[in-house]
Amino acid sequence: MTATVPPPENHPTGAERGAPARPTARAWARENLFNNRHNSVLTVLIGAGLVALTIYGARFLFVTGQWEPVRTNLTLLMMGTFPRAEQWRVVVQVYLLCAAVGLVWGGLTASSRDRARDAGVPFSRARLRDGIRRWWPVFVLLVALLGMTRTWLPLAFVASALAVGVVARRVMEALGAAWRGPAWFFAGICALAGWQVVSGTGGIAWWWGSALVAAAVLRTTRNVRTDARWQPLARFALIAGAIAVVRAVYAQFDFSGVGWDDWSGFQLNLVAAAASIVLAFPVGLAAAVGRRSTLPAVRWLSVGYIELIRGVPLITLLFMGDLFLGFFLPTEDPLSKVTRAIAVMTLFTGAYLAEIVRGGLQAVPRGQVEAAQAIGLSAPRVLGMIVLPQALRAVIPALVGQFINLFKDSTLLSIIALTEILRIRESIHGQREFLIVGIAETLVFVAFAFWALAFTMSRESQRLERRLGVGER
Amino acid sequence: MTIRRTVLLSAAVVVALVAAACGGDDDATTTPAPPPATDAPADTAAPAPPPATEAEPPPTTEDTVALSQAGGRLAEVLDRGSVRCGVRDALPGFNFLTPDGEHEGFDSDFCRVIAAAVLGDAGAVDFVDLATSDRFTALQSGEIDVLVRNTTFTASRDGKEAANFVYTTLYDGQGVVVPASTGITDLEGLEDANICVAQGTTTELNLTDVMRSRGISFNPVTFGESSEARVGYTAGQCEAFTSDKSSLAVFKFEIEAGGGDEQFILPETISKEPLGPAVLDGDTEWAQVVQWAVMATIQAWEFGLDSGNIASATGDNPALGRFLGEEGFDPGLGLPSDFAVQVVSQVGNYEEIYRQHLEPLGLPLDGSVNDLWTNGGLLYVPPYR
Repeated sequence: MTATVPPPENHPTGAERGAPARPTARAWARENLFNNRHNSVLTVLIGAGLVALTIYGARFLFVTGQWEPVRTNLTLLMMGTFPRAEQWRVVVQVYLLCAAVGLVWGGLTASSRDRARDAGVPFSRARLRDGIRRWWPVFVLLVALLGMTRTWLPLAFVASALAVGVVARRVMEALGAAWRGPAWFFAGICALAGWQVVSGTGGIAWWWGSALVAAAVLRTTRNVRTDARWQPLARFALIAGAIAVVRAVYAQFDFSGVGWDDWSGFQLNLVAAAASIVLAFPVGLAAAVGRRSTLPAVRWLSVGYIELIRGVPLITLLFMGDLFLGFFLPTEDPLSKVTRAIAVMTLFTGAYLAEIVRGGLQAVPRGQVEAAQAIGLSAPRVLGMIVLPQALRAVIPALVGQFINLFKDSTLLSIIALTEILRIRESIHGQREFLIVGIAETLVFVAFAFWALAFTMSRESQRLERRLGVGER
Repeated sequence: MTIRRTVLLSAAVVVALVAAACGGDDDATTTPAPPPATDAPADTAAPAPPPATEAEPPPTTEDTVALSQAGGRLAEVLDRGSVRCGVRDALPGFNFLTPDGEHEGFDSDFCRVIAAAVLGDAGAVDFVDLATSDRFTALQSGEIDVLVRNTTFTASRDGKEAANFVYTTLYDGQGVVVPASTGITDLEGLEDANICVAQGTTTELNLTDVMRSRGISFNPVTFGESSEARVGYTAGQCEAFTSDKSSLAVFKFEIEAGGGDEQFILPETISKEPLGPAVLDGDTEWAQVVQWAVMATIQAWEFGLDSGNIASATGDNPALGRFLGEEGFDPGLGLPSDFAVQVVSQVGNYEEIYRQHLEPLGLPLDGSVNDLWTNGGLLYVPPYR
């Protein structure tokens, strides 16, 4: 509940709500754990089991576990066969992404602060401490990783990257409202540059730059309103010109990157999952809206897509994308395996998201749409301003659940011979010294890496639900 | 409402037309490509020179298309600048990833041999990690140029799977390992035993065949991959584990080095397992190139050339001179005349590759079937002239 607008005045804040009723630990235990004989016995038994489990777990983690295979191969697990000579790209990327995240976080904090000030309610600024508390699984993962490295360099890297993020946030918060727009744009540039320092500026890379610039132009000119009929045309021309400039700028650079197919290890899981999540969301949204469309062609297309894809297992689709396309496409320049895999995962997740979103759309009362139409909103506005915000809010848990699924399903990439982390783990046991050493330990490590991120996603979604008041209003 | 619908419909029509127009463009750009330049097209402006030799490096893009459509895998590899090599990243001694993400092992070195021969750069290999079950599909779909993945040369793989095995780089055979404490010394001792084996491999088939022909009943405990079967055996799920004897030697070595129970490899060899690189059927030129690249490592061994001395070697005898590519001797294989020098100087000869990767695992070379024919082994290559 930090870095946000506190709920409207009549809602008590969390502290006020919880404070008076909080019993002491002793009283609580007596009331809940030892309130009758059966319960007491159960409590003791389960407690003993938990203690034993904790002891065994701790012993495995700190005493008997053979973590040498993980320790020796940390880099391999994280980046697989990614060429080590290009490692600097990832380092630069992390810094740039940290800066972007810091700026975005700072921007959100600043606008929350301003809104709180306008509303005259107190505002508490989220600190790094709060961030660590919210994201503790990720930080535990970081600590585990850093604890296993025996050099100071990774520690310095993580600390400095965090510092970059924190400073960027501070800077953003300190900026006046007028400067915040350009700073948002700069955050976009940082994210884009972070992406392209790894993947290069060739091919379709200029599309992303164009999208960023177009968004910036739209945002800047959104308040320019005249009655002139040429206004949309002028805006269009402005965007087209900006895109032409972007294209020309990109043409000046010949910055080649590391191809998709060289990405591997956990990095591949992360990138494939992130890309699929980002791409699948609009696909699912479009299919969900399309399925409710009054145009038969659009409706049939959506229904066909959703039902066809949902009826087929992901593994089958991945195999089809990987193998069948190989027979049909020319062999000289096939789409990269990773691109095909991301396309398949996007289509697959898109179909599921569509049904989730449709559930949300159906939960929006008909009266909302009618009311919106009655005040003269156009159909896109009814959808965008009235229906979708309510629909999406209602389905956050299911949406995030699907995203978590997708993230974990990225391990399926191993069956189409992409060296994601699970396959890298197998390879570690091909090394002579670890042939039969630490087989459980490497698996536990991989499981933990997934858990840390998936659990954080889940926590964040719950937080988002609380903020948006799902289940309360 | 009707007006809006009309508008939407017309918008849809416009979109459809645009899409159709784009499709038309695609057709326009792709249709002229397929007819090869030899058919003397009436009005295309492609001034393609008459192809002198098939192996000639493609001077224009049109030529590249024509060559690769004719099945010119060699031209495709030259054009791409790298060899796509199908391997498995979890085969101790044969191919695995080092902590630095490099591929290391007997198989991966033969991938490098091919790249060094064809492209003059042992580093120009794209390794494609393949599971046991999809290695031939990858070969058939053209995703990989060559399969160097500990694969046994068998008739049905040569036939049905459309693989073309070019040379046997390792003569292996299947064996069975048991804990020495069990006192089992032959296959008959495995009556009613659980035996860990990788599913869908020739290993599983051989085991079943041998046991059936000898009338010994047993329970196969199958795993998806050999590496998993190994783990199953270590965890005590079976009394015995069967695999190629090379892997068993590695395995025994590892268990005993790690302080585990003493292991015993049954003396019987229950099958022949000739392992070697395979290419796709139907491209003789590429098959020859791979074959001679691999054989160069053995020829170099026979000549006494290794990565250390090949730079200073001179052809005091004509055979050696030809092998070193002196005076530009070119047998017309489509390989550069100095390919053998590149292979040996960048990767090494067969002996070096074997001793580096397989001997540390408890597989001695001297006196084995994988020794040179002059030493009583099976490695014998045709003369290079």
